[in-house]
Amino acid sequence: MPPITPAKRESSDHMETKQTALPSNFALAFALCASLVCTTNALASEDAGKKKADEVCAACHGPGGNKPITPETPRLAGQQYDYLVQALNDYRMGVRNNAVMSAMAKPLTKKEIGELAGYFSRQQGLTTKR
Amino acid sequence: MKRRYGLLAMSAATVFLLSVSAWADGDPARGRARAQMCEGCHGIADYRTAYPEVYAVPKIGGQEAAYIVKALQDYKTGARKHPSMRGIAATLTDQDMADLAAYYAGEARKQ
Repeated sequence: MPPITPAKRESSDHMETKQTALPSNFALAFALCASLVCTTNALASEDAGKKKADEVCAACHGPGGNKPITPETPRLAGQQYDYLVQALNDYRMGVRNNAVMSAMAKPLTKKEIGELAGYFSRQQGLTTKR
Repeated sequence: MKRRYGLLAMSAATVFLLSVSAWADGDPARGRARAQMCEGCHGIADYRTAYPEVYAVPKIGGQEAAYIVKALQDYKTGARKHPSMRGIAATLTDQDMADLAAYYAGEARKQ
C-alpha cells in the first residue's frame, strides 16, 4: 500500500480547516473590533480613576475594590458615586476618622476623588438588596 | 509539666475560639426580619438622603459583614455622625447588628 504523500495530506487538511474556519475568523475579527471600539471609549474616562485605585486603594480594598483584605474593610465595587465622594471628603475633613483612610484621603484632590468614585461605582459588586 | 501547659493552652484556645464564634454568629433569617427599618432607604435603588447633606445612600447588599457591624457600632457610639443612622443604630443590640450584617452580606442579589 503506497504511503500518503505529505503534500496530499497537507492540502486536504488545509481545505477542511479553511472551509470551517473562515466564518468563525470573520466573527472573531468582528467581535475584536467591536469590543475595541467599546472599550477604548470607556477606558479613556476610567483610566485615571483605575490607575489611582490600583496604586493606592487596591492594597486593602482589592482589585476593583471587590476583594477587601480584612473583614472590616468595605467592598467598594458598585458603590454609589456620591456616597464614595462623601466618604472620602468626610475622611479628608476629619468628620469620619480612620487611621488609614484619613491618611489616604488627605492628599487627594477634588478631581481625583471624583475619578476614584467614578471608577469604583462602575464596577460590578455591591447591590441594592430588597 | 510541659505537657500539662500544652493541654492548658489548647483548652484555653478552644474556649476562646468557641466564644468568639458564638459572639460573631449572625442569623440572616433574623436579620431579614429586622431589616424593615433599613429598607425604607437602603432598599430603594438610588435613594438619596436629604439631611444633613444630599447624596445617594450606600448600597449594602454584598457588603462585608464585619464592616457592617463596625459601621453600626460607630453610629451607635457617635464615631460616625449621620443623624438617621445614629438614631437607628442606638436601638440595635450587638446580636441585631450581627444578624443584619449576616443578612446583607449574604447572597448579594443582582439588581
